[in-house]
Amino acid sequence: MTYAYLFKYIIIGDTGVGKSCLLLQFTDKRFQPVHDLTIGVEFGARMVNIDGKQIKLQIWDTAGQESFRSITRSYYRGAAGALLVYDITRRETFNHLTSWLEDARQHSSSNMVIMLIGNKSDLESRRDVKREEGEAFAREHGLIFMETSAKTACNVEEAFINTAKEIYRKIQQGLFDVHNEANGIKIGPQQSISTPVGSSTSQRNSRDIGSNSGCC
Amino acid sequence: MKRRNVPKPALGGAGEAGPGGTAGRPGRLQRHLLSGEFDELRDFPIFESNFVQVTQLGEVANKVTMGVAASSPALELPDLLLLAGPSKENGHLELFGLFPLQFVQLFVHDESRWQLKVKFCTGRAFYLQLRAPSETRDREFGQWVRLLYRLHFNSAQGAVPFTQEYSAPEDDEEEEEKEEEEEEIRLEWEEHQATEARLDPLASELWGL
Ligand SMILES: Nc1nc2c(ncn2[C@@H]2O[C@H](COP(=O)(O)OP(=O)(O)OP(=O)(O)O)[C@@H](O)[C@H]2O)c(=O)[nH]1
Ligand SMILES: [Mg+2]
Repeated sequence: MTYAYLFKYIIIGDTGVGKSCLLLQFTDKRFQPVHDLTIGVEFGARMVNIDGKQIKLQIWDTAGQESFRSITRSYYRGAAGALLVYDITRRETFNHLTSWLEDARQHSSSNMVIMLIGNKSDLESRRDVKREEGEAFAREHGLIFMETSAKTACNVEEAFINTAKEIYRKIQQGLFDVHNEANGIKIGPQQSISTPVGSSTSQRNSRDIGSNSGCC
Repeated sequence: MKRRNVPKPALGGAGEAGPGGTAGRPGRLQRHLLSGEFDELRDFPIFESNFVQVTQLGEVANKVTMGVAASSPALELPDLLLLAGPSKENGHLELFGLFPLQFVQLFVHDESRWQLKVKFCTGRAFYLQLRAPSETRDREFGQWVRLLYRLHFNSAQGAVPFTQEYSAPEDDEEEEEKEEEEEEIRLEWEEHQATEARLDPLASELWGL
């Protein structure tokens, strides 16, 4: 499968917030109710279509648990996008965002697009962090923000795809040097010159989505 | 590990086609990492082999390529475990995960069947049987055994890397996990599939295997 670009993503945040579940929902359209602690990095990949271009997302799902953090941190390098995840039912996961953000900024390119995700939006009755707090944090730190549910799939596509759109926009504005691999972007092996918008080569997964609409 | 990864994969696809590697040629996993999508892992010395995942009863399931790698060439022993397998989409080898070896234990499970046991510190465990031509299988398995000795010797755990004598207390818990895994297992292994993985002579020499 050829692609115009490959974007490296990392998923970071406290243990148990649902990072692996978000990835699984995005790549396999499944939900996993049991928490299998990630102990290093697990990988996922999926093709998306942005503006008629096939883009491969190479996703590094990192371990959130403190004891693994010093190791996984070394793999942030060269990421074009990051999903920084907290759990809306556990305030401490929100309180730790600053430290995750510092880590991410320190170990990756300054151009990296960061999407802040308040996950588990299906658990409204147990909500511990208001949506407005997430929005405010994102505004203050220049992040994109969404609430998602890896369980119901609500906004999961949007979270991954909107991040890609933002990276793509930065490429077009010349903010990202696509030839510098430290930016987490690679040009595809046999990039076709131009793919018509809405081309039928797009896969099941390649749909364009309006911004922040949706179910949450 | 919760995706189509090693313990519960149910993968299709015949894997990468192609002739068996000639000696000294990088293995499939290494070639995959060299293919340009994984810069950060490109320069790691890797020692790898092709396996099939087997149930505790020895039934064959999906293919797995397992490698150990050193995140720095200066390391005396590898510090990472890499697991890969055929992708669901096109059967090409795909990297599933990268795990610090300090959180993984490797054991010889059944030497007569060339089987290893991989156990994560979270308790999850699975069994892998070496897939190699019969002429070289013993030699290749022997390299894994030597590696395991060295890894165990180096860690604080018992110095003997065999499961049979040691596994008694954990058996119950694993029994359950296995049952779960077996549901998803598909027998797609082709008997005469050529084995492409070769030991990386450099890495194996480096680590004295
Ligand atoms: N209700 C609900 N539960 C979720 C959601 N996402 C994840 N979970 C549950 O939360 C637990 C942890 O999910 P994981 O995806 O394994 O967490 P993680 O962030 O990968 O954790 P580490 O690998 O330890 O860093 C699991 O029991 C999931 O079933 C969600 O959107 N809604
Ligand atoms: Mg996880």
